Amino acid sequence: MHLPDGLLSAPVCLGGYGLTGLATWYSLRQIQRDPDVSRNMPKASLLTAAFFVASSIHIPVPPTSVHLVLNGLLGTVLGYYAFPAILIGLLFQAVILGHGGMTVLGVNAVMMGVPALVAYHVFQLRRVWPWGSDRPRLGVFAFLAGALGLGLAALIFFALVMTNIPAAMDAQAERTAIYGLTLAHVPLMLIEGGFTAMLVLFLHQVKPDLLGHHGTP
Amino acid sequence: MKLNIDEYAHLRSPIHAWQPRYKLIGLGALMFAVAMVETLWLVPVIMGLTALLYGLSRLPWRYWLQRLRYPSFFLLGVILVLPLMSGETVLWQWGPLTLWQEGCWAVVLIVGRFLSILTLSLLLFGTAPFLQTVKAMRSLGLPATLTDMLLLSYRYLYEIADQFLRMKQSMRLRGFGYAPTRRIPLIPQRRDLQVFASLAGTLFIRSYEQSERVYQAMRLRGYGNSRSQLAERDRPRLDPWSAIATGLSLTMAIALVVAEYWIGMKA
Repeated sequence: MHLPDGLLSAPVCLGGYGLTGLATWYSLRQIQRDPDVSRNMPKASLLTAAFFVASSIHIPVPPTSVHLVLNGLLGTVLGYYAFPAILIGLLFQAVILGHGGMTVLGVNAVMMGVPALVAYHVFQLRRVWPWGSDRPRLGVFAFLAGALGLGLAALIFFALVMTNIPAAMDAQAERTAIYGLTLAHVPLMLIEGGFTAMLVLFLHQVKPDLLGHHGTP
Repeated sequence: MKLNIDEYAHLRSPIHAWQPRYKLIGLGALMFAVAMVETLWLVPVIMGLTALLYGLSRLPWRYWLQRLRYPSFFLLGVILVLPLMSGETVLWQWGPLTLWQEGCWAVVLIVGRFLSILTLSLLLFGTAPFLQTVKAMRSLGLPATLTDMLLLSYRYLYEIADQFLRMKQSMRLRGFGYAPTRRIPLIPQRRDLQVFASLAGTLFIRSYEQSERVYQAMRLRGYGNSRSQLAERDRPRLDPWSAIATGLSLTMAIALVVAEYWIGMKA
């Protein structure tokens, strides 16, 4: 789910870079508040590389397979480091694989990164949620974070594609297509949410330090 | 896992001789000028221009075709869907199928812009070592934390990718994916999800533990003291060829924007 070069007009691309600049500034400001930033930076960097590699996992869904976006998971594990991590991952994908592109890097970063930050805050809600025991609560909020991360990214993706096709298209048809394509992603949201919940529960059991205490690794 | 973008960075050509900092400015401006093109008549101009620059770089065409493999799915989608979905003027009709003129023009525009920007990106990242390009980004104001994260991620990307391939191979050797299971169409199996979650989780834990060792090694080399960073913000001196190349590319970018505006005004 990447917007490619050539599809969007230059003002939209520049707007994407502007919003990415703002989101990066905000994330880096939050990261600088971390008392141990020089220790956590290498952790976030290596986890960024690991996320980039893990995004090649394909889950078998007969008769085909789906690949995971993992932006919600990035938010849950990396906290505010998620936005810079997504920006770096998208740069690698554009440069190394040809997924996405350089002019749309900003737009793609907003599309994936802002839902990741939302997912992080949704995951943090588990701390104030008074009901349920620890482990099921962790699983439920991780599921919501993973599903929401993908759902919001899909909504932004289809809205951008439909409103930027440079040919006449009926507004009503445009709206129907956006809603329809986003709804078609609901099964994928369930898969992404389930995968995120399973992975977070695995990390909680094997290496709880990795889930961090304040949204940082 | 072969991910090298800069495998031809050692070649000798006018594009390779262009300093990365100024190449980033010149080709970046050209990319955005290409993204601004909305007029069909300018599509052959941008494609000719980028083909000329690519020829000057002496990068093999095989390299260009390799990089086109993933985006070709997108191109195919645009070519197949857009002419049948979008437009007002009917070119051809057969039963429920209608070919729209505006959709066809949109395909030409999108594909032309896409190929040109992709070629310019390859020129930018394929003609200098990736680390030099990152340092050039830093010299142009990329935040230090982001630059350090980028350098470290790139440094360990190949190592982590190799680890991941070994883990997947181990899974296959233990029979994962070969066991006869009854699969329901369109429903992923819970066990598959669990195995892949454990696989990704193990990769994250290994990376996390490795990062502890990396951090200790960096500390021993002075990282974190007196705000030292991996990439210093240095500004290389502008050599005559880089000045000419940057001037030419900025002129071409401005000319494209002016031509687009002028044709738009006339229309």
